[in-house]
Amino acid sequence: MKLTVDRVGKSYGDRIVLKDVNLTVNEHEFICILGHSGCGKSTLLNMVAGYLLPDEGEIRVDGQPVRGPSKARGMVFQDHALFPWYTVLQNVAFGPEVQGVPKRKARETAERFLRLVGLEAYASHYPAELSGGMKQRVGIARALASSPDILLMDEPFGALDILTRDMMQRELRRIYEKLRPTILFVTHSISEAVYLADRVVVMKHGAVAEVFEIGIAHPRSYESPGFGEAMARIERLLMDGAGEVPA
Amino acid sequence: MSELPATVAEEAESPAPLKLAAPAAKRKPVKAGARRQWNWIPYVLFFAVWEMFSRLNEQAALFNPLFLPAPSTLVSDGWDLAKTGIIADSLIASSIRIVLGFLIGSCAAVLLAVLMSKFRRLEQWFAPVLTLVSPIPALALLPLFIIWFGIGEFPKVLLIAWTTFVPVLVNTLEGFKSVPSTLIRSALSLGASERQIFARVLIPSAVPNLLIGAHISLGLSFSALIVAEMMGADSGLGYIIVDARNYFKITNMFVAIILIGMEYSLFSFLLKLLERRVLAWRKGGMGAAVEKGKTR
Repeated sequence: MKLTVDRVGKSYGDRIVLKDVNLTVNEHEFICILGHSGCGKSTLLNMVAGYLLPDEGEIRVDGQPVRGPSKARGMVFQDHALFPWYTVLQNVAFGPEVQGVPKRKARETAERFLRLVGLEAYASHYPAELSGGMKQRVGIARALASSPDILLMDEPFGALDILTRDMMQRELRRIYEKLRPTILFVTHSISEAVYLADRVVVMKHGAVAEVFEIGIAHPRSYESPGFGEAMARIERLLMDGAGEVPA
Repeated sequence: MSELPATVAEEAESPAPLKLAAPAAKRKPVKAGARRQWNWIPYVLFFAVWEMFSRLNEQAALFNPLFLPAPSTLVSDGWDLAKTGIIADSLIASSIRIVLGFLIGSCAAVLLAVLMSKFRRLEQWFAPVLTLVSPIPALALLPLFIIWFGIGEFPKVLLIAWTTFVPVLVNTLEGFKSVPSTLIRSALSLGASERQIFARVLIPSAVPNLLIGAHISLGLSFSALIVAEMMGADSGLGYIIVDARNYFKITNMFVAIILIGMEYSLFSFLLKLLERRVLAWRKGGMGAAVEKGKTR
């Protein structure tokens, strides 16, 4: 699997949201897209998902242009977007079921992924009965259960409190190390990006400002050598010249 | 029942030291059953006051005692009426009309709502017509229906169906329109086809609105039923009222009125049961928002 974002641009009327964005994501890579709100990072992710179409350029997966949403690209939303009328298990089984997997087998798959996120005890609960962090774990399990080639995550932990957020980051890292999916993760938290990603793509004003390779060994923490430096470098870039338009 | 998972959820998520730091946050268990208990005292009180007032009026004659018979008189006269078989016949006739009309009206409304949300063109043409005809009270249409379709069952059922139709349609349409776009997006990304999205996402998220429409319709369709039975009918609860007026049998009138109230309550209760079954996933409202402490 190889995702290529090739000279992509998008604008709404006069407002340019993205211009000339290039990005390559390789198999098993964990990439964070980092930027201020309104920098176009969510728009980029929505285009990769196929919800929005680029005005210029092209997004390709293994050479095939993206023309719409597909089960090959799973999405985890900030507002978790679980189906409230389905139980946790039915939510996770949704993907396999609509893809034609027999009911029994879809159920087994769902149970396996619920175990992975540690929520097998809540299989028969409705989403409204869960806490924010648990809902998000169900969201991750649901996206993974339909075995996508790439997992897209749109600020999935943005609405969680700081302690839950820390825990979810560790959890996501654990899941990543176990399954090695390809992940494209959008966030506005510098520490989250540095903690999670192999590469951090910093976006400013609708363009990629710089790409940072984070070579720190896992498990990472604030005390890991290089963690503070990486954060400081990214912060300098983000804070630098608010009015300046990068080339 | 709804308390347990939430509490477990919090405990599962907050780290242990924090839990120790906030022992005061522990909630008192609340008896959920206490609020659900059938509260019968107001009913008894209502009829007791009525009975007392009527009995007093029979002595004091503030107004003609025939105008407001006591509940005990109503029960004995109602029993006499029931023995003639009129009550059972009327109840059956009215129930058949309301069930038929209500089902036809809501099914037609849901069907049209589905079509209108699926085909934009249809909505463009139908919506203006609807805004034109929907404010007309159904009762204004009844004489016309009688001229068109005679005094048989058809115009009555049609009138009830029409009264049901408009609120259900409007609310269901609103439900289809207010489906969160992230739900549709996530279904798409999980590989759902357009038909699967319709059946598994759009329909379930429109159901709460549909039921709101059904509740509104139920009240309206009952008044349509009674009026339809008052004009050109030879059976039904509305017919009993008109017949009682013609022969000045006020107790019969009261019996019919009470039966209408009871039948409406029954249907409303059935609809509530259905709602509770279909919307088991919904949590919310005042009960879930604020926990009431014990009254001291």
